[in-house]
Amino acid sequence: MRRRLVTALALAVTAASAQAETSSLVSGPEAPDQDEIGDQAIGADLGVAGGGRVTPGGLRIAGHYLYQMSRQDWFDGTASFTYGGGDARCFRDRMDTFLCDHGFTDGGSVEISANVRRVFAPRGSFHPFARAGIGVALVRFSGDDVSGLAFPLHAGGGIRARVAPGFAVVAQADVQLGLGLFGRGLGAEPQLGMTVTAGAEFRLR
Amino acid sequence: MRTVVTAIVLFAASSGGCSGGDVSREVGARCDTARDCDDRCLPPSNDFPDGLCTLDCQSNGECPDDTRCVDKESGVCLFTCNFTTDCSFLGPLWKCKEQNERQDQNVKVMACVGD
Repeated sequence: MRRRLVTALALAVTAASAQAETSSLVSGPEAPDQDEIGDQAIGADLGVAGGGRVTPGGLRIAGHYLYQMSRQDWFDGTASFTYGGGDARCFRDRMDTFLCDHGFTDGGSVEISANVRRVFAPRGSFHPFARAGIGVALVRFSGDDVSGLAFPLHAGGGIRARVAPGFAVVAQADVQLGLGLFGRGLGAEPQLGMTVTAGAEFRLR
Repeated sequence: MRTVVTAIVLFAASSGGCSGGDVSREVGARCDTARDCDDRCLPPSNDFPDGLCTLDCQSNGECPDDTRCVDKESGVCLFTCNFTTDCSFLGPLWKCKEQNERQDQNVKVMACVGD
């Protein structure tokens, strides 16, 4: 199981990296200027996270700190909270193995992650971007009294549109692949989820 | 992009084969107390080795697929069977035995119970 997990994660990261490089080559000469939101910004967004089994899902609220590292690349430090249902969904099978079978929007988590956002050439007033990063999350399923620590990798993208000086709206989606370490005998479990959010970003300076 | 999608599908497939087989918190899981189950726990005993999560019932319509409402413990859903081997997924001490249905106690049904 662990070998398959590592292989899948490596494939995903490699493919995302390759795609980002390809896109940057294509967009190189037309790379966007980022002065419209300065070189630092903060943002907040709201959306839905989907999980399952021992990956939490539900309402997602996140805050971002953005710092421009280069013409195209931004550091995106994110703190996010996921609030899902709390029904008990774990049980012992006949072999006395403790299993969990949570739904798409069960559980809760607090996560901080470090991401890189690469902004591509604008299309009209829209700025598409790709995003990848790694996080650490405290995950809890209260109905089952199951808690754990998860280490998700994030890969995704979105689009940003300026609506006023120093103010932009953003929609983004990402997938999370990773590993969680849980108590109550669950041990190491894969994490697989997705998030769709929308929010706003404000220029700091 | 295709590689990413393929990786995700492979990952999901590799992590999805662990649902506990034919048992759930509703019917079939091991238990010691009702907290281990969605509805009711039949605690470990000779009739229910290792305990059995189940549902209270008065008729078959209240029971999930592959179970019938049996006239034991004031009416509970138990797995149906034809032979004792059909009950082996519950453990070695479970047998296929004739029981009365709860709704009509003149009707017999074969269900998995302990020795």
